[in-house]
Amino acid sequence: MLLVLSAEHRAHLGCLPRAGGAAFGELGRLALEQLRRGAAPRACESAARQLNIGIDIIQHGVEGLVYLLTESSKLMISEVDFQDSINVLGFSDELNKSLLQLYLDNRKEIRSILGELAPRLPSYHSLEWRLDVQLASRSLRQQIKPAVTMKLHLNQNEDQTAQVLQTDPATLLHLIQQLEQALGEMKMNHCRRIVRNMK
Amino acid sequence: QRFRFCGDLDCPDWVLAEISTLAKISSVKLKLICAQVLRDLLGEAIEYDKILKLTSDAKLESGDVKATIAVLGFILSSAAKHNVDSESLSSELQQLGLPKAEHASGLCRSYEEKQSPLQDRLRACSLRLSQLGSVRWRVDYTLSSSELQEVNEPVVHLTFNVRDRECDKMTAVPVTLSANKFWVLLA
Repeated sequence: MLLVLSAEHRAHLGCLPRAGGAAFGELGRLALEQLRRGAAPRACESAARQLNIGIDIIQHGVEGLVYLLTESSKLMISEVDFQDSINVLGFSDELNKSLLQLYLDNRKEIRSILGELAPRLPSYHSLEWRLDVQLASRSLRQQIKPAVTMKLHLNQNEDQTAQVLQTDPATLLHLIQQLEQALGEMKMNHCRRIVRNMK
Repeated sequence: QRFRFCGDLDCPDWVLAEISTLAKISSVKLKLICAQVLRDLLGEAIEYDKILKLTSDAKLESGDVKATIAVLGFILSSAAKHNVDSESLSSELQQLGLPKAEHASGLCRSYEEKQSPLQDRLRACSLRLSQLGSVRWRVDYTLSSSELQEVNEPVVHLTFNVRDRECDKMTAVPVTLSANKFWVLLA
């Protein structure tokens, strides 16, 4: 599958051959840092001063590289396809090889970073529980009413929320039975077949 | 095989695996590490550097050190949770493979000293939704109002200070009652 590069993208990447071989290593490093930690304008400034190139060109180059790497990693394109896609840019062979190397070296890491960007549902953090027995209330004395109180702690994107639930033991047993049935589904033939095919 | 300190259930696999790591540490050092873990369970700060120094002789890697702290924390808090006396704990640990002579008895002696404070602390940490901090009251006497010229009625103001367990904030809940309603509340 070939990557289609827009005209603007091509213009941004067009600054790479002007920057030269040594600068390319620096730009590659800046692009990866931007993927890991977000944009760092100060790093771009110092790189621009060091390599004696305009800061705009550096920033465009870094952004162009970032986009190229994320799109290629996202689609998991093969080496051949990557080479064909960047041939369009008309770079030197050496630059093409360096780009390919940069892509192959960092593909796995970029994919794991992209994987973490997907939206998440609240996930389980911990559960506190308590078993009480109500002996009397204002309206009725001499009762025996057991109740289980639970506090479910959930994590959602670094936010911690807690949900308080209360139930009687019979409902709790029913809940446990339903959850065990759900787990039991995994052992049925249908699920087993799909899991086997996914592996 | 059922263990009392695990709540009459099987011992978790990871605990079994780490017992052998515990046996690698000398019993004197194990007792000192136990003291540190007990401090952590009782809510005081744990001194991780001291533990690192104590385990450096046994040449444990950092993962093993953390595993040691985790398994000691589990054994001590679980034993306190299920109210296991130190003799039973000692015999059960020996069944799991902890050498008797010094390790198990040293551990159980540390446990026995701190069993009550540990159980008190666990009781305090149990799930509790909110807690009444204090109640403040004031009785006023209304002389007159815009509706009625002569009112002459007492009025009770109560403020309940409720502490939310989660964010440790005090919320004030003000309540105003007429004298009759207050009698109903007290009845």
